[in-house]
Amino acid sequence: MNLLLGSFTIGLILSLLALGVYISFRIFNFPDMTADGSITLGAAVAAILLVHGVAPIGATLAGAAAGAASGAVTGLLHTRFRINGLLAGILVMTALYSLNLHVMGRSNVPLLSTATLAKEAETVGLAALGGLPTLHCFGWEVSVCDMAMLVFTFMAVVVVCIGLYLFFRTNLGTAMRATGDNQQMIRALGVNTDTMIVIGLALSNGLIALSGALLAQYQGFADVQMGIGMLVWGLASVIIGEALVRSRGLAMTIVGAVMGSILFRLMVAIALRWGLNPNDLKLITAVFVFVALILPGLTAKIHRRKEASAHA
Amino acid sequence: MLDIRGLRKTFNAGSPDEVRALRGVDLHIKAGAFVVVIGSNGSGKSTLLNAVAGGFLPDAGQIKLAGRNVTRWPEYRRAKLIGRVFQNPFSGTAPHMTIAENLALAARRGQVHGLGWSLSRHLRQAFRDRIRALGMGLEDRLDNEIGSLSGGQRQALTLLMAAWRKPQLLLLDEHTAALDPKTADQVIRLTQSVVAAENLTTLMVTHSMHQAVNLGDRLIMMHQGRIIRDFSAVAKKRLRAEDLLEQFNEVRRADQLDPGAAEMLKALYV
Ligand SMILES: Nc1ncnc2c1ncn2[C@@H]1O[C@H](COP(=O)(O)OP(=O)(O)O)[C@@H](O)[C@H]1O
Ligand SMILES: [Mg+2]
Repeated sequence: MNLLLGSFTIGLILSLLALGVYISFRIFNFPDMTADGSITLGAAVAAILLVHGVAPIGATLAGAAAGAASGAVTGLLHTRFRINGLLAGILVMTALYSLNLHVMGRSNVPLLSTATLAKEAETVGLAALGGLPTLHCFGWEVSVCDMAMLVFTFMAVVVVCIGLYLFFRTNLGTAMRATGDNQQMIRALGVNTDTMIVIGLALSNGLIALSGALLAQYQGFADVQMGIGMLVWGLASVIIGEALVRSRGLAMTIVGAVMGSILFRLMVAIALRWGLNPNDLKLITAVFVFVALILPGLTAKIHRRKEASAHA
Repeated sequence: MLDIRGLRKTFNAGSPDEVRALRGVDLHIKAGAFVVVIGSNGSGKSTLLNAVAGGFLPDAGQIKLAGRNVTRWPEYRRAKLIGRVFQNPFSGTAPHMTIAENLALAARRGQVHGLGWSLSRHLRQAFRDRIRALGMGLEDRLDNEIGSLSGGQRQALTLLMAAWRKPQLLLLDEHTAALDPKTADQVIRLTQSVVAAENLTTLMVTHSMHQAVNLGDRLIMMHQGRIIRDFSAVAKKRLRAEDLLEQFNEVRRADQLDPGAAEMLKALYV
């Protein structure tokens, strides 16, 4: 049960990463590599501010803002200096590695003795239940601390999802979606697509850094290595989400990304429980995304072959 | 209204693929005029329209639109003044967005895109009414992805979008070339009514001699990056499709008369 609870919580936290990846990859069609650096940046900024006594909410939002700034830099490199999008992201990601070390001052910042959102959620949870440390839920005994964090992240993700959904239905959000769909058309309608890309990547990396800030507080530390492979992780979640909802509607794809993130985290937790070597995790994630990317083309090909042989 | 002077554009200058697409174009169009552009493939018609729309910066020359020198304005800024329909039906709409969303974007052409809702009930009703008048049965499909429509339907909607906010200038680049003849006729009729309804200043490229003689009140012919014929309303009225074909052949013969002479001409002009 605790495995389930933990997977749900991490899945929810990483769903913000998935939503960020969804914005850059799917809405803007922009393979933004900044993610690996910005998720760490969010964690690093939040962690160092927490250590210096800043309130958890403020530290978390500052982490997200730092991520948004890094996304904007990638956008500017791409639009102002016409650097290939993939390369622009890689440049910023690489630079962020050093920046993150500078922000943290060392490669790992523990948060065990500082106030965090996780601890605040626990306090609120304990108060709400009159101080009971455990709670019976469908016959299982779960710790109030875990439950409180789950409820808190759930609420945070719901707020972000609703916010995103509403945002993408405003004039600005609609113009941003159109920028990813048909740049020629939206320019002819008077939208500066460069600005849209910069704002979009800022939004995307803001969410990703928010995810990192929450993750650091949940696991109790920020680490300079924590971002490695996170982009692919987010992409895997998005792909699973798309398979789950099979819809291109805005609301459904947003919900799908969240569901995909939770399901992916659950699958990974179960695989690890069954004895999967954690060292192989990134390899398997990469292979998974590779297969998911080529699968549609492959099935279409097989389909065509079958049809061709049926006609012959 | 539209005032083009000495416009020149060479693509891939200095490389073996150098193309001198515009070799000094002067064109003055009065407000409310409907100008049709014809010319052989590669004569620079699309390049001329792209230059006006701001797709690239010209090498030389000046473009004035509605009294403003827009030569150095970026494309998105000129969009405030210009409505556009492309040859490719896929170019003018965002395929994965709904009909209503596409129209909503057009309804804000050249405006600031802020945090107001892009769609209101009022706007949807206006879209429905206007689309119903098309008679294509699309009024109940406002929330369908526009990519699910046929090329003709998309061109019709792109035309509505280009003219939703009255543009100072409407640019149509062979916007029926990719359609079957019957659909092309429909879109042409719609074009006439849209242009007439608001007396839009229009610059339309066509490959159809039939359209060229029957539409508009002025006809220009382009060849090798230049305007070589310009028929005003009076002269145009007397034109028949056969006359135009004859004009084309004349130009072609002049080009091919004698390879040596052609080379000389090229050396002189190019
Ligand atoms: N972006 C571009 N890059 C290179 N060459 C171009 C470009 N656009 C047009 N051309 C060339 O310029 C010439 C004129 O093209 P265009 O204006 O499209 O002709 P058309 O009259 O058929 O519309 C052609 O030779 C074309 O290949
Ligand atoms: Mg053309």
